[in-house]
Amino acid sequence: MTAKTKQEPLPQAVAATPMPGLLKLLTMLSLVGFCCALVLGLFVAGTDIQQGEIQRIFYIHMPSFFGAFSAFGLTVVGGFLYLWRKSERWDRIALAGVEVGLAFALINLATGAIWARPIWNTWWTWDPRLTSAAIMALTYAAYLMLRAGIEDEARKRSFMSVYGIFAFTSVLVTLFIIRVVPETIHPVIVGASPQNAQGSFEATSGVVIALIPSLLLWLTVLPITLIWHRSRIERRLEAVNRLKMQILSEQI
Amino acid sequence: MMRAYISLISILISAGLLLAQDDQASLPYLQTAAFNLPLLEGWQNQRGDAFAQFHFAEAQASIRAALLELPDPIAAAGTDLNRAFGIEPASPIYQDKVNLADGTWHVLLYEPDDVTSASVMARRAEAQSVVISFVERDPEMRVLMLTIAQNGDARKDAAAELDLAWNLLATPAADLTEETVFSLPSGQWTGLAGDSSLAMGMAFGNDSYIAIGEGATSKLPMLADAYNRTVLGFFITPDNSGYLALALAASFAILALLILSFFWRSRNIQKDLQLIESLRQAEG
Repeated sequence: MTAKTKQEPLPQAVAATPMPGLLKLLTMLSLVGFCCALVLGLFVAGTDIQQGEIQRIFYIHMPSFFGAFSAFGLTVVGGFLYLWRKSERWDRIALAGVEVGLAFALINLATGAIWARPIWNTWWTWDPRLTSAAIMALTYAAYLMLRAGIEDEARKRSFMSVYGIFAFTSVLVTLFIIRVVPETIHPVIVGASPQNAQGSFEATSGVVIALIPSLLLWLTVLPITLIWHRSRIERRLEAVNRLKMQILSEQI
Repeated sequence: MMRAYISLISILISAGLLLAQDDQASLPYLQTAAFNLPLLEGWQNQRGDAFAQFHFAEAQASIRAALLELPDPIAAAGTDLNRAFGIEPASPIYQDKVNLADGTWHVLLYEPDDVTSASVMARRAEAQSVVISFVERDPEMRVLMLTIAQNGDARKDAAAELDLAWNLLATPAADLTEETVFSLPSGQWTGLAGDSSLAMGMAFGNDSYIAIGEGATSKLPMLADAYNRTVLGFFITPDNSGYLALALAASFAILALLILSFFWRSRNIQKDLQLIESLRQAEG
């Protein structure tokens, strides 16, 4: 497969362009929003009388999953648009989405495991939700490994676009599995919790008011900001690599 | 836009503070710094920072839960009765132990004077002791509450323990004949009434919960229900803030690694560009 891609002129791509105003604003919003979401979750929301302080990690655990959902969703969008337009920009967004989404998915897994220790008395159990979340993270880790292993640029971009689109099924499975598999012990906060759920708590108004801003931040501002920063770096990295190849070919 | 965002966040924090207070108010549980227990409707809440206390003036009765810095539960029970109610507990008129879901509790009954009775449950909680006490000072009534472990397999009725407690504690031991069933929020109680006396029993798990009343016993079902709801609904919220700190540290570490990798990659690009530039200059 040797698809032709639109290459940007090297000097323009290599130059460190100043940060766009909107990205500066998003970065500021991310920082302020992250601090405010922490204040809401740690100091404003009431302490759960059954679970104690550890319940507060919910305000990071659940939003981080939706942050990963959003970032992996951008990978799907980037993948489709790359396959259609063959513009490297969309492939860079897809790659950035995987890196940011994987970081968020790891936060989700780590916080879940730490919550489970005092509440379930174990760091890990092969519950359907936990297993699917682990498979999801491994699927996207494999994306990065596979990408590093393909040398042909055009083939790599096309193949990884298709991979990124299909990998999203693991995100959907993780999202919906506790609605389908009744054997789960993972609590459901919105809607009826499974009968076996352990560590459930009521989504009272205090919980909701701390959760909504955090959810909005992790779902929109945070992934977009980080993906934008990461794709800008990737753009310069690709241009520098091309410049290196050009110099090498001139020397040969 | 930034100003609007900060305004929105301020509104959310204010709303959060208000709604969190509202949650606290609507909670059927009373939270103290150390433990939780059900709120008793109709009882005056006299809580402090380190203890919970409810008072029912009509029956001159109080229910209190406290955590004391004493490892000996019996000594802690004496100290708390003295501190809260000015009672100098001599030797108890009844003393036993029961194993409940959250540990071994000492069951103690005191009658320091003619009008006062104190029914106490106390257990050790690491280096401290939890004391839950029921104290009544109504001259027209004598009330004793106790928990007795059932012998052998768990039964659904508390008849044997009711009989045992009545014969041991009633003065004088009168015959109880009339049987009544009380359906109360704490469970289904069986009551045996006699001449100016009432004994009530409820089986829960492997234990029987008993209330004995002599004199004006009309308030005994309500008092027994309130005390046993407190005993059965009492729990200590575990201190797992260390796990919260660990989870936050893990989240920050992963985010910091991602952001640092951005800086690291940018720096490497800059170094590569400098190298390319120096090579070009060398060639030129």
